Amino acid sequence: MNLRWSRWSPQLALVPAGLVTLIAFIGAILWTIYLSLTRSRRLPEYAIDWSEWGRQYERLFKDSAWIISLQNLIILGLGSALAIVFGFILAAMIDREKRGESLFRTVFLYPLAISLIVTGAAWRWIFNPELGAEHFIHSLGLTWVNASWLARPETAMYGVILASVWQSAGFYMALMLAGLKSINSEIWSAARLDGVGLFKLYTEIIIPMMKFTFVTCAILLSLGVIKAYDVIVAMTNGGPGQSTYVPAYFTIQALSAKGNLGFASAAAVVMLLITAIIFLPLVLLTAWQQRRAAQGGAR
Amino acid sequence: MTETTFFRRTLPAQSPSAEVAVTGAPYFPRRKKGMTGRSVAVLVFLTICALFFCIPLYVVIVTSFKTMDQIREGAMFALPNIWTLEAWDHAWNTACSGTRCEGLKVGFWNSVAILIPSLGLSIGLSIITGYALALWNVKWAGTFLFVLFICAFVPFQIIMFPLISMTAALKVYGSIWGVAIIHSVLAMPVLVLIFRNYYKDIPQEIMSAAIMDSGSFWKIFFEIILPMSGNILIVVLILQITSIWNDYLIGVTFGGMGAQPMTVNLANLITISTGTVRYNDNMAAALLTAIPPLVIYFFVGKLFVQGITAGAIKG
Repeated sequence: MNLRWSRWSPQLALVPAGLVTLIAFIGAILWTIYLSLTRSRRLPEYAIDWSEWGRQYERLFKDSAWIISLQNLIILGLGSALAIVFGFILAAMIDREKRGESLFRTVFLYPLAISLIVTGAAWRWIFNPELGAEHFIHSLGLTWVNASWLARPETAMYGVILASVWQSAGFYMALMLAGLKSINSEIWSAARLDGVGLFKLYTEIIIPMMKFTFVTCAILLSLGVIKAYDVIVAMTNGGPGQSTYVPAYFTIQALSAKGNLGFASAAAVVMLLITAIIFLPLVLLTAWQQRRAAQGGAR
Repeated sequence: MTETTFFRRTLPAQSPSAEVAVTGAPYFPRRKKGMTGRSVAVLVFLTICALFFCIPLYVVIVTSFKTMDQIREGAMFALPNIWTLEAWDHAWNTACSGTRCEGLKVGFWNSVAILIPSLGLSIGLSIITGYALALWNVKWAGTFLFVLFICAFVPFQIIMFPLISMTAALKVYGSIWGVAIIHSVLAMPVLVLIFRNYYKDIPQEIMSAAIMDSGSFWKIFFEIILPMSGNILIVVLILQITSIWNDYLIGVTFGGMGAQPMTVNLANLITISTGTVRYNDNMAAALLTAIPPLVIYFFVGKLFVQGITAGAIKG
């Protein structure tokens, strides 16, 4: 072991990655936090007036577009959670049925390979008010159906949710399938002997057994929702009005379109805090799982 | 006893024979004798879901081959009356992105130019770091890994402005290299964790023997570790190719005017609000952008899914 400690190469090899972490991540985060306390507009200013350090945050939470962004974040999160439910149903069916597994997997996962800009472009076209799906449905005689969701502020967010669910359901299906396959096959035969009904089997035995898979999916989903930007740009550009603003879009808009650096920094800091709130359970979960694995190994 | 019999016993199907007769035959060519009504119902449901998943792709494909005259008639789901490649030609050669009307070919070649240095930089940096962290006793390895784990979750917006300032100071902002450097920086935490998790399973004996054999850090890496890394390298390569190709945010933020990838061209094209919108051009452009990752997916889907799952936290 002494031999290894004496070598310099491994330490030197870590220098580039260490510098990137220190400068591009830690340094940059501190820089943005600092800027959020200043009055910076188009260009950074580094004087902080400590009597009103929270000025940008006050402005932020008085901004109606930011409030809409936060509301939409929750709507998008709850709506996208359908992708987990849908993913689980698909996985359970594929896992039970076995026939055509690879075909169904391929079809349900292909949206994941495509850029969200392409996804947005496709759904934007389907939701086209004049020539899109609505026109088709009306031509079938169902003229009361309103399918141009993106054109109206009340429904635009649901269009975004539909595209997100379409894009990500296959991913959760793949995670759930892996979870289902790791369940001991004796469970199925035991349940059969006890005469447990199918619905009961899933709700009372299988789903509780897969709670870690579900928690992982929920955390990944939340992180994905906070990062949602591309799909908004491609589908609605935040509109109609500001009805589909989300924090990621709001922040970049504040920086690039409005050129308001301090304000955008404050929004970014709040985004970081939201991420941290979601991230914390993940750390605890991993620690707990590792402890359980260690205990299992000791036994 | 098979699982299908379990279903049959616990939850008898309503009317299996009728459903099989009506809907069963076309969907499952290799019908087995164990087919129950429940199986049929499940397969029908899965097939309907699969068809729903295919709708957007179908609509995009048929629209890209139509003429604008037919699109104006409004039958979105109809097949083209006349199959034409006109929209593909427009999308590739003359479609406008901002004020430039040179088609998506500009963005395509930019994307290719971004992809190559990004892959080299990001994988090179991460594989060495992962190797050093997993197989050598380095100081603060645990702390460093934990910090990297946290960095993998940081939203891009919080480091966006500092990174713009830094790339501007380094005179790479708005160039292919600027975009490639940012791709490598942002991918590093996740890729290091992937490589480190792969290498930590290499038995200590191999490392001890290699060190005894007076192998240096670099010699062991190139002669022993790298030849063992084929599987993980191909998974990471596919993960990186698809995520760099599909990226929009980094390209639009750091590409400036001269180094915009294909996704940025496409976004400019579809969000254009002036003049008459040529939907067939838009859809052909969308397909052109989607083809490279789709080809990868349909040929090496399994590796793609492995990469996506390993890099899941990247979002």
